[in-house]
Amino acid sequence: MTGVRVVSRDWDEVTDVQPALESGNSLGTSAHDQQLHEPLRGWNAFSTTFLVMFKEEGRKSLEFAKKRQMVLFPLLLTLVTAITTIGLQFLVGDSSAQVADIESKTFTWQELRFALHLPLLMFSLGMGTFAFMGHDAIVHRSGTKNYLLAAPALQPLPNSVAHFAYFIKDLCFYVMLILSPVVAGMAVGILLESLAGISTPLEWSSLPWTWLAMIITLAQGLAIAFLASALWMRGRPFTIFGPVVIVALGIAIGLGKFDIGSMLWGLGVQSSQSILGAALALLASLAVGLCSSALIIDDFDISVVERDELLTPIYNRLGFLGKGEIRLIVAKEFVDLIRSGSLKKMTVSYAIPLLVLLGMAWLVDFAEAPIPINLLSYAPFLGFFGFNFYSWLTILDSPEFMNGLPLGVPQLIRAKVVVYFLATSWISLIFIVLMAWRLDEWGALPTSIIVMFANSIYIVALTAFLMGLRPNKAIFDASIMIWFWIGTVIPLLLLFLLSFTQGDVSLYGNWWERTSEGGLAATAAMYDQSMVEQGYKGMIAISVGLILASALLWKLMDRRWGYAEFSN
Amino acid sequence: MVESLAPLVMAEDMAKKYGDFIALHPLNVEVHAGEFFGVFGPNGAGKSTFIKLLTGQLRPSKGRIEVLGINAVSDPQKVKANIGIVPESESPPSFLTPVEFLEFVAKLRTVENFNEQVEHWIEWFGLGEKRDTMCKDLSKGQRQKVMLAAAFIHKPKLLFLDEPFANLDPIYQRKCRQWLLEHVKNGGTIFLCSHVLEMAERMCNRMAIINNGKVLAAGTVKGLKQSKDETLEDVFIRLVGRSIEDVERFSDEGVKDKDDEEE
Repeated sequence: MTGVRVVSRDWDEVTDVQPALESGNSLGTSAHDQQLHEPLRGWNAFSTTFLVMFKEEGRKSLEFAKKRQMVLFPLLLTLVTAITTIGLQFLVGDSSAQVADIESKTFTWQELRFALHLPLLMFSLGMGTFAFMGHDAIVHRSGTKNYLLAAPALQPLPNSVAHFAYFIKDLCFYVMLILSPVVAGMAVGILLESLAGISTPLEWSSLPWTWLAMIITLAQGLAIAFLASALWMRGRPFTIFGPVVIVALGIAIGLGKFDIGSMLWGLGVQSSQSILGAALALLASLAVGLCSSALIIDDFDISVVERDELLTPIYNRLGFLGKGEIRLIVAKEFVDLIRSGSLKKMTVSYAIPLLVLLGMAWLVDFAEAPIPINLLSYAPFLGFFGFNFYSWLTILDSPEFMNGLPLGVPQLIRAKVVVYFLATSWISLIFIVLMAWRLDEWGALPTSIIVMFANSIYIVALTAFLMGLRPNKAIFDASIMIWFWIGTVIPLLLLFLLSFTQGDVSLYGNWWERTSEGGLAATAAMYDQSMVEQGYKGMIAISVGLILASALLWKLMDRRWGYAEFSN
Repeated sequence: MVESLAPLVMAEDMAKKYGDFIALHPLNVEVHAGEFFGVFGPNGAGKSTFIKLLTGQLRPSKGRIEVLGINAVSDPQKVKANIGIVPESESPPSFLTPVEFLEFVAKLRTVENFNEQVEHWIEWFGLGEKRDTMCKDLSKGQRQKVMLAAAFIHKPKLLFLDEPFANLDPIYQRKCRQWLLEHVKNGGTIFLCSHVLEMAERMCNRMAIINNGKVLAAGTVKGLKQSKDETLEDVFIRLVGRSIEDVERFSDEGVKDKDDEEE
């Protein structure tokens, strides 16, 4: 028999709503003489995909950072860690890594390990949203850039396998380019003891365990973020319960109901040095990654949904931006944010850490905390979220269509900074007002608002100036990261230290002086009015400086990105 | 059913809906071996949805789909492993070279001696000089050639092509056309999606015209014409709901306006 039969029916004529999944009850088709290929499955599909993805990632990073900067970045990390290793003696006193001493003026090794693992976990939590990335790759695959993560849409490869390969690839990449250079830096620090006679308390035997423990923390963070994003992609009820659980967990940790140390698997492994513990922790992280990838369904639908006109109404509301092209681009960016569903995603991820902090402030008596955290300490802290939010803004849509329009890259970058400010400032403002109410520090509120906005604008302006439309790819570029580090750490550190002269001043006046003298054993001193005033003036001065620096970066944007092409 | 008589592709009430929008009304499809079947329709008619459902790229909202004896809803990977797909606008992964991408897709399909096949198709499409260039640095036409090679590399009998020649130069358009006709002559089967009616005249032995997610007519190219003088373009315009007079008047008005401006 030959031929084709094609007949349409009306939608309502067919009442069976579910697509037939069962393999039995065949419709009677046949492959005739074609020998059927069995697609790669399981381990074989994973290993094949992983190897090609690894190559792809290397080229992606090289495209942005160029070879020289890619080599410089790990070298920079090695150098910084070597210097830190030498400086360890000032932090821990004379004790070696194997001795758990507690001296009044120094940190214990356990505290230092905690300080290593907690930021590493935070970093990996920020980098592990693979489910969002996969979805974006699928949506954007008809653009000029296509990635292997989108391959399952067309190739005989399950989405879950591609995502798990991506998870392992990212883990390997971070181990190679971040963790291994850090441990190499520690080794250089120890080597200097024998070569240059510089004393360091770290021992060779600590290095393999430090490396392994850091890998476990990294894997744990990536896996948890992967799980969270995979659940989010499944929609309700996860999009409601997920944030609630995270906030509750954060508050519980803040209240001491959970020991955060016990939740850092890498820290546990480094402390116990148990091979079994290490194997279990690593397997558990991989298992979470595997479960997360299993949650990714083979759904390549790109919804065709009609929407009401949004651009003009949003444009009309942005009258305060004048009549220039920035207003138009900001309106377009807001349409992207809303239609892509990212506004909800980004608002929730911006608000969650703030809700955790607020919840903790509600329940914890800061007077008992070892560091005098107050309203002014939170203000510069908020600026840190700017980097992540701006990064997301740059990957919402491909900007390449703008190459044919009378626009320049600096205008788009500026528009994204404005969008960031408009989309998040109200959350930050509500947070800081609620915090002022909770801590009863209304007097510090005006200064806190100035510090918060100045810092927030500055960090995003700096990120935008240094990294343009590709902040995610700049992370391995040493030349950019050095400037970013210098540009953020110095002002933020100054603001933090000055904030400690405020707060509950009857208890913590003259804090810097006291801790300089007494280290961790410092005791409270009496209220020092002149120091409080100086602190306020100092913070205001730094904030004004940051606003001026932002204005300068805003101006310099044309020089740096004026001839760049629209590409992310 | 005797195997040689069994169809290669069969769908029963296959349909797709996005929210309230019906992209494809329930459709019964049966395609036998040796067909060069074209699906034609205006932009947004549902052609790509039709092909994506049959190839396991999309999950139907209703209905059953079976291709080469494989349930396309429950095992889309196996369907994709045994057919060739050329999508409408997709590019190969930007940071792989053509050779690497072809090796990757051949491995996923467990093709034996795939290196020979990779070399063959690289040469066939004249990509020898670009074999080690990353796909992002290739021209649109070259990327399209890589996608075509990826669809042919495992020698599938059944091919689904969505606007396959959109970016190809005339030389490769002709070369591909001849290869596809030869493929059908040798027992292969091709599903072609396009809005270029000239392709139907030159290549398809049967065709369907689709609009608003519904098949309006199907049959041989000759059979769809009401008279000898009727062109396929006339058939198309008649079926999709605009009278030829409307289209001609529209064209005339356009010309007239232009003339008026010049005066």
